Amino acid sequence: MVKALNSLLLLVKNETIKMIKKKRFYVVLLVLIVLVPMFAYAQMRESTTKREKFGADWRREVQQAITDNQNSLGSDRVPEEWKKYRKIYIEQMKYYLEHDVNPIQSGGVTFTREFLNNASTLFIPLLIMGVASDIVSSERTAGTIKMLLTRPVRRWKILLSKLITLIMFVSLIIVSTLLVCYLVSGLFFGYGGFQLPVFSGFQLNGSEVDMSNVHAVPQWKYICMQAGLIWFVGITVAMLAFMVSVLVRSTSASIVIMMAALIAGTILSNMASAWTSAKYLFMVNLGLTNYLSGTPAPIEGMTLGFSLAVLAVWAACSTIVSFLVFTKQDILN
Amino acid sequence: MNKSSRIWRITGLLSAVSTLLLILGFLYAVYDMTVPANQASKAKPETGVQMSVAAAAPYDLTAIGDSLAKGTGDDTGKGFARRTVELLTKKDKESQLINNLGINGLTTKALLPMLDESGVQYGLKQAGIIILSIGGNDLFAGAHGYKNSGELPSAAEMDAAVAASGENFKQIVKKLREINPDAQLVYVGLYNPFADLKDMREAGDRAVAHWNTNVLDTMNQYQGTIVVPTYDLFTNNLDRYLSGDHFHPNGEGYQMIAERIVQSIALN
Repeated sequence: MVKALNSLLLLVKNETIKMIKKKRFYVVLLVLIVLVPMFAYAQMRESTTKREKFGADWRREVQQAITDNQNSLGSDRVPEEWKKYRKIYIEQMKYYLEHDVNPIQSGGVTFTREFLNNASTLFIPLLIMGVASDIVSSERTAGTIKMLLTRPVRRWKILLSKLITLIMFVSLIIVSTLLVCYLVSGLFFGYGGFQLPVFSGFQLNGSEVDMSNVHAVPQWKYICMQAGLIWFVGITVAMLAFMVSVLVRSTSASIVIMMAALIAGTILSNMASAWTSAKYLFMVNLGLTNYLSGTPAPIEGMTLGFSLAVLAVWAACSTIVSFLVFTKQDILN
Repeated sequence: MNKSSRIWRITGLLSAVSTLLLILGFLYAVYDMTVPANQASKAKPETGVQMSVAAAAPYDLTAIGDSLAKGTGDDTGKGFARRTVELLTKKDKESQLINNLGINGLTTKALLPMLDESGVQYGLKQAGIIILSIGGNDLFAGAHGYKNSGELPSAAEMDAAVAASGENFKQIVKKLREINPDAQLVYVGLYNPFADLKDMREAGDRAVAHWNTNVLDTMNQYQGTIVVPTYDLFTNNLDRYLSGDHFHPNGEGYQMIAERIVQSIALN
């Protein structure tokens, strides 16, 4: 048993070193370091133009946002779907005003929270895909798979070591996204804001907003929760990309397949509310952080438990398929 | 080989720690969202927090009420609120728009609870001039869609609306005075947007006149209030001052109202 674990650990070590040497992870870091300052700068420009209009008075700014959204609720030209989002937004903003808490306080921590909120459905899954998509198929493309399999190690162990390595890197990617985001945005907005309260627990019940569960969470805790939820999403995406990487021989093909699936998810979330069975697709369920912020789910009947279950089933199935195929498959060429 | 070992040790350690932290975050998130707030020891937000309000500048302005306050129909989007600010600025008075709280379709009944919201009160307290426009939707309920439906309110309906909404209006003014007793409260009087329709001219005119008289009675009970009439402006000039929906003023109409407001407020 100990011997088996040791040999597995050696394999994981080998895979990790390969991963670092292939510089995939550096590419991810580079993407973050280039993109995050751009987002932060855009955000800063936006808040300066708002400041010109409202002065330093966030209460007026928030109240005006409430009134503007209330006006759009009355318009027949606004689709019912959007009204749902705006209704909950209005109630949230009123709640912040009532408790005299600034929801738009700028700061590195607030920026990180907002960024994570928007990154969970597409940006972070894309980064993860970059690492996951070629973890098996690259061995094929490079022809090294034969060398790997001729060693006296069971095939499932090889695959398991790759899977463990992948999970390790998913965690690393999410934590480094968080850190890069905080460190870079801090240059723009300052590094404070950990204790700022965030209100969580708004729910939409029919057309009414249910406030009975609303509670205050300090921002640092909120970010920990977001990161945890994104991690779950990341693992699911990684497992799926892993399966595709086993099934498809070419790396570029596996990247295209996963990317298409992810982008389909964002498109479907925007328009699939009429097609309710779409809620069983994994890509519609990637926005776990929305349950935290109170943003209504894209399709009626989706809850946190539901989304977690859907993602878990997809992840489990793709892992099973990966192992079945990889252990049985003939390696040709 | 030495370098590889180092890579492995660092990456292995960092990723193990990260994974552990993320799992904890995940579990906490699930716990936080599934256990109801009243059962867990969760921090309920403090209630009844008082906002500190800076002293209101005399010509800072907040508009509240219906689509007229909002400026619907004005192609420039300025409405009489921004136009009043512009006119005041031209007169070398330091003026800015604090908030435009106008909401399309708002009735006296819907405005009352709005006045209890802390954000609304905040916007009102900061103003030296409060412009109120309300009542049009009570009287001409749904009439602005008449181009599509062809239905107009009957004389009896309008009379009933004047009586019922008059009570709400009294409370609105009382509340506004309580929220900000020092501001000049300007009410923009109603006009009859259907004065050019044969069936509506007489009934509409009567309802509007009735309403405007009631309003004047109510407003006169308080210090620092003005009713700005608009009836005379519009009644023979509907083509000139009404926008395409035949209900709201156009840019020129709003400009006329703004000029009247500036003429009647106290300037020192």
